[in-house]
Amino acid sequence: MVILETRGLKYSYPDGTHAVRGVDIKLRKGKRIAFVGKNGSGKSTLFLLLNGTLKPAEGRIFYDGKELAYDQASLREIRKNIGIVFQNSDDQVFAPTVYQDVAFGPVNLGYSKAEIEKKVNGTLEYFGLSGLKDKPPHHLSGGQKKRVAIAGIVAMDPQAIILDEPLASLDPVGADELLDVLHELNHMGTSLIISTHDVDLAYSWADYVFFMVDGEVIGEGTPDEAFQDDELLRQAHLKRPMTFDIYKEIERRGLAHGNRQPKTVPEIVDSLKPPELMWVEVPPETREGDILNLGVLHGEYALHCPYEAVNARVLHIHENNKAIVELTRHGIKAGGILIYDMDKFDPSDFEGYMEKEEIDIVGAMGKKSKLLAEDYSICVDIATGVIDRTILMALCGKRCMILTSGGMIPHSMQRINEYIERSGIALNVRVLNEN
Amino acid sequence: MTKMLDDYALLSPLRYTNNWLKIGVVGFGILMGISSQAPLVPFSIAICMSLATLIFGRVPPKFYLKLLMGPAVFVVFSIIIIAFFFGSGPELFGFNVLDYHLGVNTGGLSMAFLVFSRTLGGMCCLFFLALTTPMVELFSVLEKTGLPDSFIELSMMMYRYIFVFLDVAWCIKHAQTVRLGYHDLRTSLHSMAMLCSTLFLRSWEQGEKTFVAMNARCYDGKMMILDEKRPVNFSEVALSLTYMVAIVGVWYVSNGMLEVSLW
Repeated sequence: MVILETRGLKYSYPDGTHAVRGVDIKLRKGKRIAFVGKNGSGKSTLFLLLNGTLKPAEGRIFYDGKELAYDQASLREIRKNIGIVFQNSDDQVFAPTVYQDVAFGPVNLGYSKAEIEKKVNGTLEYFGLSGLKDKPPHHLSGGQKKRVAIAGIVAMDPQAIILDEPLASLDPVGADELLDVLHELNHMGTSLIISTHDVDLAYSWADYVFFMVDGEVIGEGTPDEAFQDDELLRQAHLKRPMTFDIYKEIERRGLAHGNRQPKTVPEIVDSLKPPELMWVEVPPETREGDILNLGVLHGEYALHCPYEAVNARVLHIHENNKAIVELTRHGIKAGGILIYDMDKFDPSDFEGYMEKEEIDIVGAMGKKSKLLAEDYSICVDIATGVIDRTILMALCGKRCMILTSGGMIPHSMQRINEYIERSGIALNVRVLNEN
Repeated sequence: MTKMLDDYALLSPLRYTNNWLKIGVVGFGILMGISSQAPLVPFSIAICMSLATLIFGRVPPKFYLKLLMGPAVFVVFSIIIIAFFFGSGPELFGFNVLDYHLGVNTGGLSMAFLVFSRTLGGMCCLFFLALTTPMVELFSVLEKTGLPDSFIELSMMMYRYIFVFLDVAWCIKHAQTVRLGYHDLRTSLHSMAMLCSTLFLRSWEQGEKTFVAMNARCYDGKMMILDEKRPVNFSEVALSLTYMVAIVGVWYVSNGMLEVSLW
């Protein structure tokens, strides 16, 4: 289902700059869409056109199949349903306190007082902003202001949110938290449209990408297709995503399986071919050609290795009982990822699980869970890139627990199960306190 | 960045106390201070309000003294002039300057005292309000007083963007300083002029951007809701009433005595 469609969209600024010159795009509902292009390629102007802030010189915009008319009522409808988050939060957060800013949208949509209060407090809690609600924006950090800006849009229940360079001017942890929030929003059904010049972000985050140059869309497709095309990347003044580049180099050296598009570190790891030969110590009576059972590889042989060796064929006997062996391996499932729902947090219950499940590593996802973990002085080992890093840890035989809540739970389950399906390595995944 | 009065108020433990109670206490103090003919009343008000600011408001005493020193300079100058040029009664001391006789008499001195005490009392009252009630709390008070909505909305946005532009101004100033923009008077004037004009243009642009942002969020003429509930608790009311009764008592006694002594 298409939520927004443009046909032959053109716009030029009064000074004569042709910011958008003939854009035909279809944006699908519930997707994560990224517009990638260098600065000044017309992304921001396109976004202002998409929610009716600017009126195109030529061309038409269709929202939910209906052509956008520029009268008060339809503008209001499109602006309620297509929220836009500007690059600079100071442009957007104009109320004296956080609460008043988040309430601005609901107030103007004419909600009743009780509804506004419920909506705003719910949104603030969801974004981990409840403690800041009476603060003026100039007492907030950049990341907090960004969260306020997004909360102000989310409080209006839009179908789609457009974010102009959402990660610009955020520190890595802030950026990661924001991505968590965006993933969750998307999981709950909100379509997300971002602009970025960060190819790594677009490659790993988006379902669908558009490349923009000089006000035109020069290419589109899923990240897997679009980022393969080196000529397209060159035209768009972009470079290959880092993970893809690393993978290509490893593959060229014959160290990885071919024809994959790893987007995350676990996926790169998964594409690696395991070593075939290995030095081991063998009993003195062993001879070449014997089959040895080495059992599970552990300790120094497999510090970060997701494999166990079942059988090893001795190829060559060296002095001092050393031998070169050829390994027949298969993946093991030793670690597991357990998800703990922080909405039902109970300290004693939590301690019980920690002990019973022999948890080695704790990761926290989402602002709310992190704050709660901090309140109960739970030692959080992983706070950023939680899903990827717990997968990596679980592959090395560690038992991990992810503290999270709400829509993040099905989202994490889905991501981990996708990984299991693709890699064929059966990790143990389940939600702990589910009833 | 320097810490401003408003920052103290925002972090003050008295911030969430009922605004009307605070305004009532302050208004009462100012009225009693002005209406009293005896300096004792404004002095006791000054002491009470200072203690309230320092103890309940947890304002650092050093900062509070520094604040009081600002207006104190003006006050000292004016009471010197009052002492020399006003009042009547027996002269206490005097001297001649180029055949012109200058002297201080009892009437002038007591008037100077009264003016000093009233100023001090009023100042302490207003500083109490300024240090415990941030602008964001006062907006709801302004709304209740029946001022037009657009006036309040404008002042809310002005308040918000003061800080944004203050940041911009600081950044520009630093950028100019590192390139020796303020190394002598001539360059300082030039740099300051550039700063002002840039700031003007920025604020113009900001206005347009904010308008776009407001429209993008369905701006419909309704700005924000203000009705924050700030309940009054018993101990606050009890303390305020005790204070008021005590001041009224002091007022009666001291002004009564004054009448007796004048009689």
